Amino acid sequence: MIMKQFRYEPLAQASYLVACPRAKEAVIVDPIEDLGSDFYVLEAADLGLAIVGVFETHVHADYVSCARELAEMNGVPHHLHERAEGLVKYDFTPISDGQAFEIGGVRIEAMYTPGHTPEHTAYVITDTARSEEPWFILTGDSLFVGDVGRPDLLVGDQSLDVMDEVERAATQYRSVTDKIFTLPDHVEVFPNHYGGSTCGGVNMSGKASSTIAFEKRFNLAMRQPDAQSFGLFVKETAKPFPDNYARIKSYNLGLISKDALKEAGV
Amino acid sequence: MTPQEVREATQEGAVVLDMRPPKPFAKEHIPGAVNFQFNRADLAERAELSLPQDNDYVIHAEPDPIAKVAVKLLHEAGFTVVGFLEGGLKAWKAANLPVEELPLIDVDQLKDGLDGYQVVDTRERFEFKFGHIPHATLLEWTEPWAAFEAADDSKPLALVCGDQVRSSYVASVMQRAGKQTSLVFGGMVDWIERGYPVEKGVS
Amino acid sequence: MAQVQETKTLDARGLLCPMPIVKANKEIKGMEAGEVLKILATDRGSIVDFPAWADDTGHELMEWHEEDDKTLVFYVRKVEEED
Repeated sequence: MIMKQFRYEPLAQASYLVACPRAKEAVIVDPIEDLGSDFYVLEAADLGLAIVGVFETHVHADYVSCARELAEMNGVPHHLHERAEGLVKYDFTPISDGQAFEIGGVRIEAMYTPGHTPEHTAYVITDTARSEEPWFILTGDSLFVGDVGRPDLLVGDQSLDVMDEVERAATQYRSVTDKIFTLPDHVEVFPNHYGGSTCGGVNMSGKASSTIAFEKRFNLAMRQPDAQSFGLFVKETAKPFPDNYARIKSYNLGLISKDALKEAGV
Repeated sequence: MTPQEVREATQEGAVVLDMRPPKPFAKEHIPGAVNFQFNRADLAERAELSLPQDNDYVIHAEPDPIAKVAVKLLHEAGFTVVGFLEGGLKAWKAANLPVEELPLIDVDQLKDGLDGYQVVDTRERFEFKFGHIPHATLLEWTEPWAAFEAADDSKPLALVCGDQVRSSYVASVMQRAGKQTSLVFGGMVDWIERGYPVEKGVS
Repeated sequence: MAQVQETKTLDARGLLCPMPIVKANKEIKGMEAGEVLKILATDRGSIVDFPAWADDTGHELMEWHEEDDKTLVFYVRKVEEED
């Protein structure tokens, strides 16, 4: 299995290439426009890999996604959780909790982890050539190293998003406790953000990977005893909102065009 | 370039360089296209070693951004590149233009039907000397464009190298020259892994 | 098998056949006899290329193995040629 983490430092964002070298197929997770579709396409071509799918953990609010363009350029599906149906205004290929994709010996399994956003999904990766047990999880913005994704980013019409802040925090807590933390201790955690990103709180680590065991023991947000205290803790340790989050989210939802985004100076 | 423009260019003698990996190339490609796999790290060097400088080339690489980078890299290496096929094979087929296949066989199939093939080894001389398929002929991958006098022209050619990158290049050149050619996917690595017989030396 | 300690590492990952041996050849020319060159390659043809190259040049291919992401690792000890 090939796994590459691409870090875009100005936004402390991490995207991923996961591939099976035998099948010569790769998937890209959470590609960022600041690196651009060409970047990912060339990375795959250098390794002789064909991109067979583009996955996103959620509809991002802090950076412009190039998932749509990357998928279209390669004639492959753009995957988001089915909960995004009705939220996003463009066509995508919906996936559901537990749905698995196999590329050669690599298995990518969707783990629905709402909270940060209602459609948020993590991806659990297993290299079946080595073990039937999962190796690492791409947690998106649900679980960070030392922190969790903030539950308070909203945009536009409340009716688009039935989860209010309190409910989101509670949902976030449960997603981590009841789902992510049920993975074996040794499973590695690779997030969508780290360090200075404003998607998490002040405790987010600059280290862009961890393990389930370490986060269980030392993630301060997750050490809170219940959903309520978790919600309060996250609120108290929050950072300022990401720049242009409302406009960026609108673009990523397909509500505004790229030109409109540019005109707004993003 | 549009598919029609590419077609016209080939009719005027331009050579289409198909830069996809061997497997998709073998499945279907523009008739007469030569397979030369893309990467950024050593494309220029490999081209300088084995691609004739005096051809006009048209790039077929997918998706388009790869083609653009390939055009640039080959230009910088001193090759004449006329353009690239926008939209790739999808655009070519949408224009109702024909495609060609390069038959693919694996080492097991080659072993079973060995008598029916003239095996052409496209590696370097010292690699061939170290171990080659019995009765194979050597045609180094840096020299395929010159007239090739096959040891036995009555049999179809089976092209082999270490894995299949160099042999795919030479196989496509042979096919372009009208020779009945198959590509042995997996090459000498698979042949030796299977424990199939190997001949040493250069006769 | 004893641990091999390399003098120099050549990262030939991403290079296509036969560039890994072309680069290894260049690299080893600038090394001293007895020194060990470690080569990392992703091109599968290297599996037959390196043994042949070692046999041809007289250098010693000490050991090689494939890692689980399909990276190939070769250890070659430079042997000075007697003219």
